[in-house]
Amino acid sequence: MFGDYQNVVTMSVYGSSIALILIGLYGVLIKKHLMKIVIGLSVVDSGVNLMFVAVGYIKGGTAPIFSPSVIDSKPLMVDPVPQALVLTAIVIGFAVTAVALSLVIRLFKHHNTARIDQIKSLKW
Amino acid sequence: MVISPVHYIAVPLLAAFTIPLFAKIHKELTRIIPGIVLIYLTYVSYVLMSKVMTTGPIVEIIAGWKAPWGINLVYNGFSGFIASLMSIMGLLIWIYSYKFKKVDDEPALKFYILFLMMVAGSIGITITGDVFNMFVFLEIVGITSYSLTAFYRGRDGAEAAFKYLLIGSFASVFLLLGILLLYTHVGTLNMAQIAERMHTIPTSVKLSIFVMFAVALGIEAEMFPLNGWAPDAYSQAPGPVGAAFSGIVVKAGVYALIRIIFTLFDIEGSLQFLIVMGLITMIIAEVSAIRQTNLKRMLAYSSIGQMGVVLIGFGIGTTEAIFAAIFLMFNHAIIKGLLFLSGSFLVYNDDKKQIASLSRFGKKLPVVSFLFALGAFAIVGFPPFAGFWSKLYLLLAAADKNLIFLIAIILMVSVVEVIYYLRVVGKLYFGKEESKIEPKKPAFNSLIVMLILGAIIILVGVYPDVITGFIHNAADTLSDKATYISNVLPSL
Amino acid sequence: MMNTYILILLILFGGAFAAYFLNKLAPILSGLTAFAATTIATILFYTQVKIGSQVQLTIGGINLEWGINAYSWLFSFIVLGLGTLASLYSIQYMQNKERQGYFYLNFLLSIGAMMGILLSHDFVSFFIFWEIMTWSSFLIVIYNGKDVKKIGIKYMIFSAIGAYAMLMSIVMIFAETKSFLISDFINLISTTGFSNHILMITLLLIGFGVKAAVMPLHVWAVGAYSNSPMSYTSVFSGALSKMGIYGFGIVMLAAMTYVSPTISENAGSGYSIISIEVIKIIFQWLGAITAIMGTLYALKQTDAKKLLAYSSIAQLGYIITGIAVGTKLAVMSALFLAVLHGIFKGTLFMAVGAIERQTGTTDMTKISGLIRKMPWTFIASLMSIIALAGIPPLAGFVPKWLLYEGLITSGHYFLVILLFFSSTAAFLYCYRFLFGLFLGQEEEETKNVKEAPASMVIPMMFLAGLTLVFGTYPGLLFKPIANAMEFVGMHDVTWNMTVLSNVWGDTVSLNLVSIAIFVIFISAALFLFKGMRGTRYVTTKDISTSGEIPTENENLTYQLDFFKPFERAVAPLYKRTMDKIYNAIGESLEAVFDFTRSIYTGNGQTYAIYVIVFVVILLIFKDSIF
Repeated sequence: MFGDYQNVVTMSVYGSSIALILIGLYGVLIKKHLMKIVIGLSVVDSGVNLMFVAVGYIKGGTAPIFSPSVIDSKPLMVDPVPQALVLTAIVIGFAVTAVALSLVIRLFKHHNTARIDQIKSLKW
Repeated sequence: MVISPVHYIAVPLLAAFTIPLFAKIHKELTRIIPGIVLIYLTYVSYVLMSKVMTTGPIVEIIAGWKAPWGINLVYNGFSGFIASLMSIMGLLIWIYSYKFKKVDDEPALKFYILFLMMVAGSIGITITGDVFNMFVFLEIVGITSYSLTAFYRGRDGAEAAFKYLLIGSFASVFLLLGILLLYTHVGTLNMAQIAERMHTIPTSVKLSIFVMFAVALGIEAEMFPLNGWAPDAYSQAPGPVGAAFSGIVVKAGVYALIRIIFTLFDIEGSLQFLIVMGLITMIIAEVSAIRQTNLKRMLAYSSIGQMGVVLIGFGIGTTEAIFAAIFLMFNHAIIKGLLFLSGSFLVYNDDKKQIASLSRFGKKLPVVSFLFALGAFAIVGFPPFAGFWSKLYLLLAAADKNLIFLIAIILMVSVVEVIYYLRVVGKLYFGKEESKIEPKKPAFNSLIVMLILGAIIILVGVYPDVITGFIHNAADTLSDKATYISNVLPSL
Repeated sequence: MMNTYILILLILFGGAFAAYFLNKLAPILSGLTAFAATTIATILFYTQVKIGSQVQLTIGGINLEWGINAYSWLFSFIVLGLGTLASLYSIQYMQNKERQGYFYLNFLLSIGAMMGILLSHDFVSFFIFWEIMTWSSFLIVIYNGKDVKKIGIKYMIFSAIGAYAMLMSIVMIFAETKSFLISDFINLISTTGFSNHILMITLLLIGFGVKAAVMPLHVWAVGAYSNSPMSYTSVFSGALSKMGIYGFGIVMLAAMTYVSPTISENAGSGYSIISIEVIKIIFQWLGAITAIMGTLYALKQTDAKKLLAYSSIAQLGYIITGIAVGTKLAVMSALFLAVLHGIFKGTLFMAVGAIERQTGTTDMTKISGLIRKMPWTFIASLMSIIALAGIPPLAGFVPKWLLYEGLITSGHYFLVILLFFSSTAAFLYCYRFLFGLFLGQEEEETKNVKEAPASMVIPMMFLAGLTLVFGTYPGLLFKPIANAMEFVGMHDVTWNMTVLSNVWGDTVSLNLVSIAIFVIFISAALFLFKGMRGTRYVTTKDISTSGEIPTENENLTYQLDFFKPFERAVAPLYKRTMDKIYNAIGESLEAVFDFTRSIYTGNGQTYAIYVIVFVVILLIFKDSIF
């Protein structure tokens, strides 16, 4: 299995995406600092995006660009849909991160702390 | 111009991004344009719904790409009903908030942009026929909701918004993972085609995908234990936004959850899962509501509890139960809308939004108090108000399936609901001493909206037949999966 | 041409809103509107409606059927009669009180709802009207703003429990019969037996039991009765509580009498543990215990309103026992008492209301000697009290006679002893009521008290007169009662216009009794009035107590505590009240609720952990969950 270069790449991409998700989750669930939580969220996002790209990859495929010459030869192409999705997801992730950061600034101004376990004026 | 479901999404999004330009021409346009858009959407709803009721579902193909390849919008009895409900609620909330932040135009601009995008996103979730498209709309709704929750600088809005964002991000991650897994196994994003190919996925993988979807959409549908964000967000958002959350956003979440359970997946246990989760959600929310001293928080928990009942209704699964659940969604939109809108006037000048501060407001704000009391009576299901019928139909459907225990629990929880709502009503009219807080008098436009909602509650309560036709159609549509597939993919 | 039923309901409900809005013009208008609405509805009802006519409606895909039958006809006397008189009484009683529009709105709504209940032939409209009745009466209970939490919310909690028990039963019945008609339910019971549907019947009985204030469900009643304005309490205790009896009667009588013997035998033979007999026995005993406890608590009260409230509970207990015994005589007595209780308790609450209006209090320790100030009120109270105590010639004697006979002939000797004890003890509070308010020495505070206005006295006197009429000619009531019993399946009920007889051949001619007592009464009165010329008014101090002159604050009227020894004897019974038990339950529930909501810790990270834990659990156990 490891003899095959392609397979190693694929597996390592999958592996690193899962690792990213887990690292991100660790940041979100364990770290108390708001900034670290936001970073954790971004890392999780990256992990998911990476996985998308990995899924769309087909061994030996080329870039999915249709042109008259390509159509005739019917080459093996990677799946374009996940790539399109991942672009959208990245943009969305960026927007969410922006909102999150602005909220962190507001929270820090309001509470004078950035520890999430000290910001619980709303409870029960 | 032919009216099509695309207008639901395109028009408000276009307007949202061009409002800043129009605001340069005249400031008042900031407020007027959203109104025009929402009136137009209501008109679109009217035209399309009458078309659906007579000739059947409308499937709109976007950009010329036919069904499995392009994105399509499915406007049938169920999605059409919910979309119409959302546009009407949007319109009413716009009228209500017309004078919102009159002194300060810049926040008003932001408010309307976000609000329009939120409505467009919610309707988008409802009518889309593509899972990834649903994800995008969900994110639009999410980002706008976070921002609207944190709209007021002074309050703890940012805290509520951050919690919402944190949990909401989880929703998007799980939804993405679910879509990813689904795509690798069926190779399509079109809902109808997924539904058709669902049986090819091995059961274990199917269940994992289902868990991802259920959790992601359960967060939006305020299912326990995924609803920690909800009471904070509801109670910190401005009044009209609270009404929009319960009338529009959460409806989109519930709709999406129901759509994937009923149309996409064919998992035996998912209905029982809905019942159990609905029950837990309802019990914990209502039990938490009874001990609240903050009016908006109480309404928020009550809202969550009602969503639990809706989930139970869908979980029972018979056409009658689905009918009851959709009726409940409708009732919840109008009644909780009224409660949030009137309640936010009652506690307008109290920073802590305490129930205690409402003491004897019946005299100072007679109409608003009366409408709040009406809403309270309606939501606990006293006849002759709207809430009674949905409760009756739901219980009948449950009894039909011999779920005696379920009925008993729902009714016991209803007793709890009666207690905390009537406590507020008692406080409004017969509090011990007059509250020192001077109430804010409602503006004319806000009053009109509340009166309209009150009138609808009484009308539906006295004569439910005005609405049951649509709801029956919606329930039939939802339970008929084969027709959904054949509508979207006529060739197959 | 509009149906009369709909018209009557429209008049009552429309009148309610008219009364509400007319209050803005002049408060008196809303009172007059209420009176007009009830009067018109009453006239319409008794001139236009024929027993047996029906009307069908369809709302929300549910078929509703309204109509009147002999059984509901009987109860319509109480609702419409008492409603009309109470609204007349109310005009002056409510004078100068604030929020009259609100009061009359709910007053008329609840009367309309009660009529609706009587008209309903199906469970859905029954339940709708039942709930309207409940919330409108709740809004009146909290009308004066006192103890909203303690009294109003308690009333609402119990009502909600009752109503939802009923709703649960209704949906279960529908699931079984696919029909909401009450008659179909009775058919179901009669064809498949009582015991197969024990849950739905129990739930229905709980629903009715709450309104009828049966023993463990009675704790709301005293506060609710005494906290409402008295003009409404007379309806509340007189008519609204009878709706519980009405429903109770439907279930018990119809079910009992229609069940064919073969099925009940079948059910008895190990088919099910609980047969109809068990239900009957439970409710006989609950009724008797309610009667005794109600009486004992009534004894302790110093507030006339509360005394009457407990007395109402006790009387409802008799009615429940009578129906639960289920023989013709017992049922007849129960229905008779149901109507009669509406009459005399209505009067008594009105009388107390008149005293409250004229003196500002109903505390029996604060007022006394009103007999000279409020003679008409006194006469009405006297007659009602005599009726309540069951002394001939007034009507209270009739159901008592029938009930004892009914219990003895059916072998319920122990129940007879209990009820006999209770009604004997009732003499004590009857006496205290009369003595405490009307007799004894006049107090300084009540010097300037005047008789209540005529519009309040007339309804009281009218009702008090009815007790005499029905006491002399009980047949006037026996006739509709016999019809009602015929309707619920108890055939061949014998009755006589003026003569009570029993199986042992004794007869009482009520005419003769009345004439005899009347003669005695008149001569005694003449004698007294003649002697009155010689009476001499004395001051409080003009008394010799072993040569000592009493001080100002020494109470010389022994209206209080005059049965201390008796109280001491029954003291252990007062110790454990249901109220305390419910409070304990409530407090522990609150603690549980508080614990539950601490799930929402306020820490966003905790919520995130919930989400992840939930996902992990679902993923691990996915095969067993789904």
